[in-house]
Amino acid sequence: MPDRHTITRVTRVAIAIILAFLVSEMSMLAQRGGRGGGGRGGGTRSVSRSSVNRNVNVNRANVNRANVNRNVDRNVNRNVDFDRDIDFDRDWDIDRDIDVDFDHRYGCCYGGGWGTAAAVATTAAVTAAVVGSTVYSLPSSCSTVIVDGFAYQQCGDVWYQPQFAGSATNYVVVNAPR
Amino acid sequence: MTKQVRWLLIAMTVSAVGTVGTRAQQTAQIEPEAMAALHKMGTYLRTLKAFQVDAVTSTEQVLANGQKVQTSGVANLVARIPDRLRISVDTDRRSRLYVYDGKQFTMLARKVNYYATVPAPPTIGELADLIDQKYNVQLPLEDLFSWGGPRSKDTDIKSAMFIGPSNVGGVSCGHYAFRQEGLDWQVWIQLGDFPLPRRLVLTTLTDEARPQYVATYTWNLAPSFNDAAFTFVPPAGAGKVVLAEVD
Repeated sequence: MPDRHTITRVTRVAIAIILAFLVSEMSMLAQRGGRGGGGRGGGTRSVSRSSVNRNVNVNRANVNRANVNRNVDRNVNRNVDFDRDIDFDRDWDIDRDIDVDFDHRYGCCYGGGWGTAAAVATTAAVTAAVVGSTVYSLPSSCSTVIVDGFAYQQCGDVWYQPQFAGSATNYVVVNAPR
Repeated sequence: MTKQVRWLLIAMTVSAVGTVGTRAQQTAQIEPEAMAALHKMGTYLRTLKAFQVDAVTSTEQVLANGQKVQTSGVANLVARIPDRLRISVDTDRRSRLYVYDGKQFTMLARKVNYYATVPAPPTIGELADLIDQKYNVQLPLEDLFSWGGPRSKDTDIKSAMFIGPSNVGGVSCGHYAFRQEGLDWQVWIQLGDFPLPRRLVLTTLTDEARPQYVATYTWNLAPSFNDAAFTFVPPAGAGKVVLAEVD
């Protein structure tokens, strides 16, 4: 039978191990339950992978591919791809679009760019758009113009060039092509 | 502290450590039967010269607050190996047509009526790599072309299990479950002479909400088509746009 001092030391170590184990179990439980918050959140944070054999990044915050800086948001309005963040705090209605990868031609806005401008504008004048910025839907009353075989959208004084960014559609503000 | 309590504490410690060890072991088994079934399916897929697949899909998106939202859709694919492909995808949010004729690849976004055409390499596999790397476009149902080929690597698989027999759409299948880095997936493989995937479930582990993708496949191994199926004709009023290159 080991002496009293050894037993005391062993006991202390045992208690420490059990406590450590319990703490790690509890913190795992806490993480699972931890994402709370009512309300509509603020956008898409990830999408299920749809391919076993191609590792497609699904989390907007981390790009998991060879080119780490791919799809970095350089512009406030710029969400480049299928998994972009959406401005989820829109008006809800019967036909609400979750809009995660919806192709928009008209209708308003996400991401705080045009939407914000429209909210505060008191005149019909369109706030000047920055050439090179990207939006996901167009203002109303645009017309399609073909220049050199490519489609542009002319909306008042602002010209947009539609493009595919990944599988999603967006519109880049450009100088008038003609 | 009494002697009994001390020994009880020591016993609890040992069992706690033992439990953790067992849990780790359960996740790391590769059953040879499951790998063999996966190989058999891949090998068979790569023998097909032409096929048509209809898929019913549902994908989960995770919102910033952790809430999951499901999007469903259908995909119809016709392929003639190695260099003809036509895929039509219609989901709640998006409608797309992808056409490849061995020389060019075109993507059409139907709801907004824009299309883009780019030069393409001579095989479907190379096309899938190119559009992913250059344009960040992933070919729908791409796994059907990857299994049994170099992109499908055994070394990626950390765990492989046979779950049991299952019936998918009236077809008897074997149900298998696999684990990879960041992804758990399950496939239901038709029993018998045509080991085709009939259902696929992907569970993404990189988000704690673990969003899932589910696809159920119906196969036609004797499709009829002509070259017109792989020739893109822009719909009336469609506007040509560019496919943005990734940096």
